[in-house]
Amino acid sequence: MDNDTRRRLGRIVLIAARVALAAIFLFAAYAKMKPQPGMPWTPGSVRTSLSMFAIGVDSYEMLPPWAVSPFAHFLPPFELFLGLWLLSGYGMRFSGLLSAALICAFILAMYSAYRRGLTISCGCFGQGAQIGIMELIRDGLIFLPLALIVTVGGFLSKRKRTGSTLPQSSASVSHAD
Amino acid sequence: MEVFTDYECPTCKRLFEETLRPMISDYVAAGKVYLIHHDFPLPMHKYGYEAARWLNASARVGQFQNVEAALYDHQESWAADGDIGKYVAGAMSPTEFKKVEAQMRGCGLGAPAAVKSASFALGGQAGSGDACAVDFYIEADRALGNQIPVTGTPTYVISYKGHRLPAGSGVVSWPILKQFFDSLLSQ
Repeated sequence: MDNDTRRRLGRIVLIAARVALAAIFLFAAYAKMKPQPGMPWTPGSVRTSLSMFAIGVDSYEMLPPWAVSPFAHFLPPFELFLGLWLLSGYGMRFSGLLSAALICAFILAMYSAYRRGLTISCGCFGQGAQIGIMELIRDGLIFLPLALIVTVGGFLSKRKRTGSTLPQSSASVSHAD
Repeated sequence: MEVFTDYECPTCKRLFEETLRPMISDYVAAGKVYLIHHDFPLPMHKYGYEAARWLNASARVGQFQNVEAALYDHQESWAADGDIGKYVAGAMSPTEFKKVEAQMRGCGLGAPAAVKSASFALGGQAGSGDACAVDFYIEADRALGNQIPVTGTPTYVISYKGHRLPAGSGVVSWPILKQFFDSLLSQ
């Protein structure tokens, strides 16, 4: 496989990982913010869904009571923002890094709940699947590697861009001299 | 709000004491929330099924609330020695207790054999041979729980305007649940 093909393949993998990660965050945000059955899309119904998500956050028994509601109202819009940011492709190394950090935090929270024997819903994509090995495997072996691919890819492509502009800038500096 | 509980489950005790108690005196008493209790005794708890029997028998003489509170208050004690009747008797008058005891006649100790079997999770019915009258209510609740499906206790399901919302489980603190009810009721 020549360098050109390898580079092209790397770019395809990076785009696929970035779009998949963006889709995961966008779906996670949608699942948490979508109105409950029988309710129309209104700011009030979205607030109700976020309050429902707060119940899920509270069941992890990790945050102090005063922090549960602000966190539950912040996380889904943040996931929406992160999904859109990943989709845009701007500052990929930062969006990737932030995604990886967030997924690591989710894994730690789930592992902690699992270790404490809590039989609670994961809350990852709204109320649903109970925390278990499958959720930990999904986050650890699928979501986290995707975020790491985006992060590493973002750093590598930034380095390549910086590397390719260096001779030009040094040329202009030496020319100015 | 429908709550599926096992009286011997420590998390159910916490949900009752930290959330359901203030909720009953606040929102249930005010008619804002309708609370439905469902039994879901788990096979891992030695006296959970028997406690559910005592509760159902007490409910039939109008003493559900008092006995529920008494059983949760003394959960560690009866979970250790199985002497549930003592706490049931303490939560009602002697006449009422006699009626409860009459309901419990014919009930063997522990869960019916079929409940202990592997068919538990699939909603298998209790064997008629050793089942007592109140087992019917417990089995009806368990069958309902298996439809949800309830995989652990406590599990709660909130319905609003005929729509059943996704089930939640574990402990939720009253201020957070109250916030959700307020949001729901303001719709």
